[in-house]
Amino acid sequence: MTASIQRAPAALVRSALSNEFGLVALIAVFAAWFALATPGFASPFNLFTLGRIAAIDVMIGFSMMVVIVTGGLNLSVGAIGACSAMFFGWLSQRFGLPLVFTIPAALAMGAALGAVNGQLIVRSGLHSFIITLATMSVFFGVMVFVTRAEAFRALPPAILAFGRLRYFGYVSPLLLVSAGVGLALAALYRLTPLGREMLAAGANAAAAELSGVRVGRVFVRCHMLSGALAGVAALMAIARTGAAIPSMAGDLGQDWLLPAFLGPVLGGTLLSGGRVSVLGAFLGSALVSELTNGLLQFRVGEFWLQTYLGLMLLAAVLLDLMRRKLVARFGASR
Amino acid sequence: MKLAALPRADWFGPLAIVILASIVITAFDPSFLSPFNIQILLLAASVNVVVAMSQMIIIAIGQMNLAIGAIGGFAAITFAGLMQVWSFPPPLAAVCALGLGAAAGLFNGALIARTGVSAFVITLASLSIFKGADLGITRAQPFYGVPASVKAFGNATMIGPIPWLALPAAVVVIGMWRLLYRQKVGRFILAVGGNSSAAELSGVSIERTTLWAHGLSGFLAALAGIMLVGRLQLGQPSIGDDWLILSFAAPVIGGAALAGGHVSVFGTLLGVVIVAMITQALVIFRIDPFFVQVVLGLLILWTVGVNRLREVRLSGGRA
Repeated sequence: MTASIQRAPAALVRSALSNEFGLVALIAVFAAWFALATPGFASPFNLFTLGRIAAIDVMIGFSMMVVIVTGGLNLSVGAIGACSAMFFGWLSQRFGLPLVFTIPAALAMGAALGAVNGQLIVRSGLHSFIITLATMSVFFGVMVFVTRAEAFRALPPAILAFGRLRYFGYVSPLLLVSAGVGLALAALYRLTPLGREMLAAGANAAAAELSGVRVGRVFVRCHMLSGALAGVAALMAIARTGAAIPSMAGDLGQDWLLPAFLGPVLGGTLLSGGRVSVLGAFLGSALVSELTNGLLQFRVGEFWLQTYLGLMLLAAVLLDLMRRKLVARFGASR
Repeated sequence: MKLAALPRADWFGPLAIVILASIVITAFDPSFLSPFNIQILLLAASVNVVVAMSQMIIIAIGQMNLAIGAIGGFAAITFAGLMQVWSFPPPLAAVCALGLGAAAGLFNGALIARTGVSAFVITLASLSIFKGADLGITRAQPFYGVPASVKAFGNATMIGPIPWLALPAAVVVIGMWRLLYRQKVGRFILAVGGNSSAAELSGVSIERTTLWAHGLSGFLAALAGIMLVGRLQLGQPSIGDDWLILSFAAPVIGGAALAGGHVSVFGTLLGVVIVAMITQALVIFRIDPFFVQVVLGLLILWTVGVNRLREVRLSGGRA
């Protein structure tokens, strides 16, 4: 009895110090501040735009998260996304194929490029950093070479209509897609043997191998999943802009790197692998999109935005260090 | 060095490729070895070798620096901006820009050493901090007010086909060689990269060594940015945007171990020359310039594969 009373405050403190709780609180505080301080933030149209951008950023974050689980990373998410998008655009515009065929084909393209990454990493035994740095250059270069850097704009109207659709005046269905994928990922890690094998292999590859996990195959699956999710993010970006553009993720797809890491890192996914928080990554990316939108409402200027995002990533890792120290102290005094 | 040991040196493979490629390309197009072509080759290689060294010193300590392009761009617009807006004389503006680069590097190094957070995350964050500042200050517009002396330095030749830009590049190469193989700091950097706990136990301060490496990396990135201002004749905010792949490709081709502790200054120099030759060859053979990216990527994959094989063979089939 006394023990449970003593433990209660510690548990309360720990849940208050948890990443997800902190992120929800931050999102709420900033939403209130932006809504009061700027006239545009809480307008239905702005909330709709914000939701669409947040949905895409969340998906980019997921695409990186599923590889961070292995203790590696995937610098080629942006390049894979651009390749999937252009493949989708080519199939739609050139052959007029229906969405039931082109959407799975675009995702398969992403998964196939992810499989190339995974195979190269597992077979060479080299770190994913250098492999995906090289493949990002190769994938993007081949894509630009093949497409002659020209965009596809004659896409099926259905996908554009999906991007413009609004529920209750401000909820974008893209947000529901991201939430659905998030639930599926959470189920994967919690309920399925494959998901648990991914976490085990990421936490300690040697130990996992000894307990019968085929680590190489699991890592390849993680990279395929990452590629497919990058494809989903690219299709969502197409739904938003209405065109498949080679530079949608910047040169070599570099523009996706920062959002890809911000969400998972803010959400408490360990960069060394083995631990994941799908909800955290979702909330982290949502917070970043909210802050971006709010800062733009304050007219800080588009150019300085990158600086603020960089400072935020820095603040997030430093706060995370402090949080871990605090948790360790409360854990020790208990 | 014994003759039999030669093929095992880091620079042997790259050197063989450079010679072989020169012969093959010249056979197809004799103008490849013309003074004008060599001048263009040297102009590109001079800037790129400084970029590659800026990354190599961080690879030596077993880390990575994603921010070199952003630091180089920031230094470049600082250099051009100081000359245009406040009409600083070029040497003073260059010193300010180099100081800024070194400070930016020290900022990275201090954060990495103090917090223990991975260099990847820290430099990803500082990459966007510096890039945002670069774009915010310039509003993405270049500074055009670059003095004639700077423009001349970036394009004129010194002796024969050798451009003036090769001078700072040569100083950097020799300086890096001396630093890594003759100076205490350089040995410390390699020791920390090879095995940081062993280095610490033998009395090397990891924090100081990390600060040195990152400060130097920022300084070199700034130098490359300044050299590019001279070569392009304007302070372009997008300077540095395309350095990342090259900065890893050249040291890796030169035989650097990405885990740290082992780099080759001359191998890296040859790596830069190989990349410059490939770029030129694509132009000569009228192949799409977009293809450079593909070739660079494949080159990284191929060399890390070869290096890995060599590692396995040297360690007697283990690993």
